[in-house]
Amino acid sequence: MNVIEAAGLGKRYGSTWALRECTLAIPDGHVAALVGPNGAGKTTLLNLAVGLATPTAGTVSVLGGTRPGSPAALDGIAFVAQDAPLHANLSVADTLHLTRNLNRRFDRGYARARLDELGIPLTRKAGKLSGGQQAQLALTLALGRRPRLLVLDEPMASLDPLARHDFMATAMTAMADDGVSVVLSSHVLTELERVADYLVLMSRGSVQVAGEVDDLLASHRVLTGPAAEAGRYAERLAVVHARRGGAQAHLLIRTNGSTDPVPPGWEAHPVSLEELALAYLREPGAASLPGPVRAERTEVSP
Amino acid sequence: MTALTLPAQPGHEASPRPMPWRRMAWITWRQHRLAVAGVVAVLGAVSVYLYITGEQLRHQGFISYGAGPVLSITAVLFQAIPPLIGAFVGAPVLARELETGTFRFTWTQGFGRARWTVATLAPLALAVTIAAAAFGLVFSWSYGPQIIGNPVLSPLAATTFDLHEVTLAGWTLVAFAIGSVAGIAIRRVVPAMFATLVAWSGLAVLTGAFLRRHYQAPLVTSNFTLPDGAWIESQRWAQDGHPVSLSAVDQVLQKIGATVAAPGHLGQLPAAGSQSAAGSQSAPAPGPGSVNPAQYLLHHGITQLTTYQPASRLWPFQWIEGGWLLALSLLLMAAAVWLVLRRAA
Amino acid sequence: MAIGKGISPAGNADASSPGGGGAALPEASTRGPASPIEFRLDPASGVPTYLQLVQQVEHALRLGYLKPGDQLPKVRDVVASLAINPNTVLKAYRELETKGLTAGRPGQGTFIEATLSQVALPELTGLRRSLLGWLATADTAGLDEDGIVALFTSVLRDFHERRGGTGDRRAPASGATEGVA
Repeated sequence: MNVIEAAGLGKRYGSTWALRECTLAIPDGHVAALVGPNGAGKTTLLNLAVGLATPTAGTVSVLGGTRPGSPAALDGIAFVAQDAPLHANLSVADTLHLTRNLNRRFDRGYARARLDELGIPLTRKAGKLSGGQQAQLALTLALGRRPRLLVLDEPMASLDPLARHDFMATAMTAMADDGVSVVLSSHVLTELERVADYLVLMSRGSVQVAGEVDDLLASHRVLTGPAAEAGRYAERLAVVHARRGGAQAHLLIRTNGSTDPVPPGWEAHPVSLEELALAYLREPGAASLPGPVRAERTEVSP
Repeated sequence: MTALTLPAQPGHEASPRPMPWRRMAWITWRQHRLAVAGVVAVLGAVSVYLYITGEQLRHQGFISYGAGPVLSITAVLFQAIPPLIGAFVGAPVLARELETGTFRFTWTQGFGRARWTVATLAPLALAVTIAAAAFGLVFSWSYGPQIIGNPVLSPLAATTFDLHEVTLAGWTLVAFAIGSVAGIAIRRVVPAMFATLVAWSGLAVLTGAFLRRHYQAPLVTSNFTLPDGAWIESQRWAQDGHPVSLSAVDQVLQKIGATVAAPGHLGQLPAAGSQSAAGSQSAPAPGPGSVNPAQYLLHHGITQLTTYQPASRLWPFQWIEGGWLLALSLLLMAAAVWLVLRRAA
Repeated sequence: MAIGKGISPAGNADASSPGGGGAALPEASTRGPASPIEFRLDPASGVPTYLQLVQQVEHALRLGYLKPGDQLPKVRDVVASLAINPNTVLKAYRELETKGLTAGRPGQGTFIEATLSQVALPELTGLRRSLLGWLATADTAGLDEDGIVALFTSVLRDFHERRGGTGDRRAPASGATEGVA
């Protein structure tokens, strides 16, 4: 089952396309990281998936074909928007009440126990909690709904490292216990490397890379060799990004799964996720997508 | 330390259940209790004042009629109650969700945004309507003796008509409804409040100036003296068939020492230097030997045609106005829900 | 590669003490008998996370922290303390099972089944001596430390590829070079 599936999805605000030609199929049972710079369209895509926005073009479905915003989708998806919006003048206990009254299913015992563990007092107003506590409260409310999909929009942007660790630990534990799938967006990739096993890389409103992290890392590598020969090999190989010094060049290539021999005089290195992401972000025309691809320089799907 | 070590088994609440409307009402109260409590407190305080005034009026024994200064000022102040309630209670409900961004939480919960909107608007609408109706009752009781049976000031006049319990509740409810639509349409609290005040005022002015007189076909009479408390819609004087102005008629009357004291009443000119009983509007009986002003006018060929609504129509008009205000309010709140459904991020 | 602070390999004494009182040690999972080991991540090592877990288990086996019959940490406990993807832990445990080192018991957890082949002490000493000799030769030839590591890693790869790549396979550390295939 695909937790989020999009076909030619587009969203226009006024005359600007915030998202364009987005085709995705994020499988369940994964932690999918939506990565890209600000303005890439991550929040737009998530808003479309949770029913806060309607598409201008194309289609999007969630949880195996359900329409976003429908009762079934609302039941199964828990969304924590950027900056964890909460009603500032409601106490934590009242916020729990509110969430319980707005959902068919809410595990109050879990929520109270979790807040107790975190040391978040029930009587304090939500607006008076620290940033980390607010994020944890929002996550607790989301997980208390026992969703099948947890969607987080830049959940850790304003959290300190300890708070980030605790936040991720909570989410990952829920995944281990209940099989919740997670889709989260961030513009900081390094934190997500430990956690993400599906990557969606977005830039300027379109999806550049989408795939399982293991597959992506296995199908890319960096070739280092003489700069003079780099041009020759750039024709034959699917080069995503090239960096040149005077005598030395690094080519980040996509191997299509085949184990081509490394050209003589060249070395091959495996790629890290961050290196891969940076390379694609630097090359707006490049893409690595399962399926038809709109790219100029490098193409072909694995 | 903060890693969850408790078992994550579904608790008792994990089974699905229908939407708890009553509990939602309680949550709505918690969220808006400042506004609601403010309304209740203010109305309560003013009610106490009204009660005291009413008691005084009754104990005075002598009821002075007329649109005395106190009644006029308080009436004007009370006219402001419905739009202020609409602006302060109605507009923020939806506008604040959008302005603060909490709609991203509220509208992604399991029961969806339409049910949330209804569950939030309905209890508040009910609360303000009841509060306004209660206040209107106190007003009616308190100033009733001064309004009903007042020969000069009609209970149907705009000064006090919409302060009685039915119309006050109606105008408050419609203000709340206008506020809710303004909130979702404008999405910012302060502009929505402002728009609510403007829209409500426009509607109120239009109703008072144009709509209200058409609730029932007015009565027409050629009597010079009208029943107490009649609400005059138009009055035409004619002399020998030709239209003539009120001041001309007044000049004719002054020759016999009378005047058109008030629309619908002919009275004696107050003697120069005597205490001007400007507040006393009882038509003084023609003294012995003085000419009856009405007959004097007829003798000169002056006739009058008055279109008016009798004071007895106060309560029918109240219910008519309350009725269409209720219908309009429901329509507006339904429109607010529809706009909530339509609105994309 | 540290296994865990202060947990003695000889028994579960510290790990299974309930409550942890005023002890300076963080208490282990409070549900059921605890695992002898605790995982640790090195995010800067360049080694994939799941592989780090596999290597830590093998290392623990070698050093004697883990013995056949011991239980590996429960998936959710690893996830809760390291904040990593549960699929990663599952992948690591599957890898260990493929290697024949562990076996999963449904409803209970993952348990150590076998040990890594141990090398006898005299053999180890002999190996050390011959390695020192080789290092001296390489040093004389002008190879610096990084060069030695690179050469060794490259030859090790060749050796494993010729052997078929089963058994104790390691991923190349970042910066490894491949010679001509």
